[in-house]
Amino acid sequence: MADQTDIKLLKHIQDGIPLVERPYKEIGEALGMTEEEVISRIKGLLETKKVRRFAASVAHRKIGINSNAMCVWRVPSDRVEAVGKVMASFPEVTHCYERPTFPDWPYNLFTMIHGYADGECEKVIEEMKEKTGVKDYVILYSEKEFKKTGTRI
Amino acid sequence: MELTREDKKILHRLQSNFPLTPHPFRTLAEELGLEESEVLRRTRAMAEKGIFRRLGPIIDTHEMGNTASLMAMRVPEGRIEEVSRTINAYTGVSHNYLRKGKNKEIPYNVWFTMSAPNKQELVRLIKEIEEKTGLEVRNLPTTKKFKIGVKFNIYSGE
Repeated sequence: MADQTDIKLLKHIQDGIPLVERPYKEIGEALGMTEEEVISRIKGLLETKKVRRFAASVAHRKIGINSNAMCVWRVPSDRVEAVGKVMASFPEVTHCYERPTFPDWPYNLFTMIHGYADGECEKVIEEMKEKTGVKDYVILYSEKEFKKTGTRI
Repeated sequence: MELTREDKKILHRLQSNFPLTPHPFRTLAEELGLEESEVLRRTRAMAEKGIFRRLGPIIDTHEMGNTASLMAMRVPEGRIEEVSRTINAYTGVSHNYLRKGKNKEIPYNVWFTMSAPNKQELVRLIKEIEEKTGLEVRNLPTTKKFKIGVKFNIYSGE
């Protein structure tokens, strides 16, 4: 677990660090820490994987990545491991997860695909289908975005 | 905003890992062969135009001891806005989308992700949403992660 100071630090910077020459110094001043301590704590959070990345979250639509799809696949349970790895290896696939199934929901493998050109996702899905032999799938496109924020604590 | 070659170079580095040095923009500038002031100016401009949402920690909910899951609901057409407002009011909700199946009909239309300090709390919140809306919430937690890393190919759109 992160200690209280780590939590305090994360809460302070989770919406973004100040875009100034010495951001860690400014953060430290606000929290009563030294610049060094801010840096070493962020490094510690990265090492312990509590922070996955310390970086910018790109708004993909703004840079022309306009083709996005969530594609869910019905994969036999004994093939999930192999199929999941193949699907994850596509550079256009940003997320690949296994999730439980239900009587009205047989799709166990979830993939998020991002592409630049119109129809690029469909092309990638065709390739994924061919490479894995999984033919039962549904493309879920987002009609409306109600909320999108980063993970906050 | 039309991104220049320099902007793309900077953005590519910003989305990978931001330097943890006293003068991070100087570190970036040296790496990219640009001036510190230019990197800072271009980064600010891209932030202002919303090219990136924020520059900071991408927190792993699970490693922080939290739990998160994907939820799906079947919401009647006329109630979508109202139900979404109820869902969005929870701070643990990070994404919420109206989705439709393209090649097949699917039983759910509202999809959201929600995190909570622990599993019991998540279950309690799900129940609360079910009570408030009178609709069932289908909980689809991750059982295995094959890939998670939203890094985009900044250059291939050229």
